Amino acid sequence: MSTWRRFVIATRFALIEQGRNRLALGLLLVFVPIWDWLFGALIPDTAVAFKLQSTGAFLQVNGHDLTVLTSGFNAITLIVAFMIFAATRRNAAFDRRLVLSGLPQPVAIAAKTTAVVVIAAVISLYATLVMEIFWQPQGFGAVWLGYLLDALIYGALGLLLGVLVASELAGFFLIIMVSLMDTFLQAPVENPLANNDFLAAFPSFGPMQVAVSGGFGHGVAGASVLLALAWFAGFALLGLLIFWWKTRIWSIQSKPSLPSRPEHIAIPHATQPS
Amino acid sequence: MAESLLRAEQITRSFGRRGVLHGVDLAIAPGTLVGVVGENGAGKSTLLRILAGELRPSRGTITRTGSIGYCPQAAILNDTLTVNQHLAYFAAAYGLTDLSYAEALISSLGYQKYRTTSVGVLSDGTKQKVNLTLSLMHQPDVLLLDEPYQGFDWETYLHFWVLAEALRAQGRAVLVISHLIFDQQRFDTLFRLDGGKLVPLPIARGVSVNTTEGV
Repeated sequence: MSTWRRFVIATRFALIEQGRNRLALGLLLVFVPIWDWLFGALIPDTAVAFKLQSTGAFLQVNGHDLTVLTSGFNAITLIVAFMIFAATRRNAAFDRRLVLSGLPQPVAIAAKTTAVVVIAAVISLYATLVMEIFWQPQGFGAVWLGYLLDALIYGALGLLLGVLVASELAGFFLIIMVSLMDTFLQAPVENPLANNDFLAAFPSFGPMQVAVSGGFGHGVAGASVLLALAWFAGFALLGLLIFWWKTRIWSIQSKPSLPSRPEHIAIPHATQPS
Repeated sequence: MAESLLRAEQITRSFGRRGVLHGVDLAIAPGTLVGVVGENGAGKSTLLRILAGELRPSRGTITRTGSIGYCPQAAILNDTLTVNQHLAYFAAAYGLTDLSYAEALISSLGYQKYRTTSVGVLSDGTKQKVNLTLSLMHQPDVLLLDEPYQGFDWETYLHFWVLAEALRAQGRAVLVISHLIFDQQRFDTLFRLDGGKLVPLPIARGVSVNTTEGV
């Protein structure tokens, strides 16, 4: 069986598993629109200043629209991180068994990474479409890109915590705290200090710059995209490195295989069905 | 004597300062059923994980000539996937393109009606059958079983012996590790893991060996 075929199968099952995560699907259907609507309804159309890091200039943007946009970040970071964390942690022993049975580690790692990317792409597109109900940005693609970048970062964080944290509760708590701090502090409406330079060191800074700048018609700065991808790569590499370490197999000395055997072992049938 | 399918030489393993295995020697020949009995904490699962390649010994060498099938005590499955999806996933792991043997195993163990059912809703007994199928579907030369008496229900336990006899008849081997060995007469070789070493046990016909009775 080719490596490509193995990769396709492993990726397919990783995605099927996520598709059967009813809690996550329920949260997507209910939580994302309610979150957008609730925050949008609370914040008036007053102008708010948002600092564009690429130029240093301050944009004057509609507070309601900006809040709808930032609340989307809050919702998707939580959901994507939960989904990836829960699956990674739950399947730790199963993944180890697959590798022990011969699934090459690079295939398992590539499948996990691909699943994160696909899930991030689908959920960020969904969140962007939901946002359209409450605000129609000038740059739909830029907002999707911003959401996608943050979903990638938090998907990789979920992966990292899934291989690192022993307790499910501790993992969930960490995700909630990191997401809340990160996305809340980036939003100028909720946080008057949001335009401070120190926030550039937070994971959602790049995605927020991309979505706000592009969403309000000011283009997308490549540096912000690269910064976000660096966060994604950092979390993903660390998580996959730990995954590789935990699923590694001790290399046993193997001699040439045995002389040929009958193709099938004869299987006597059970006397009773289960 | 025929060449061993799996050979362990002077295996030692420590966890921190606690030594668990202190020079284990074991050779599993083709067409044999081998049992290892020992108290809880004696290092049985450590030995099995080392033989399966999951754990590195502190010292010693493992040499294997044939393929390994590893059946862990707890059914390690993915609750969201169906039985058929497990087969496809492990076929990808083993590099199998032909699932006819796996299908024959399912038919033999009598759970074919659950093939499209998610594993998470299956009974514990059926999960153990899936667990056993996954460890056998690539027709391994050596099957390693961890505490089958605890995990298997009675029907699976009985049928396991039928499968084990079929494996042996084909020149393959089965290693059972347990704190309690029933049906000693079925084994060709028995060992007791004691003090981190394997001690050969005489096989008493019609008597069970357990760790509290002694030998």
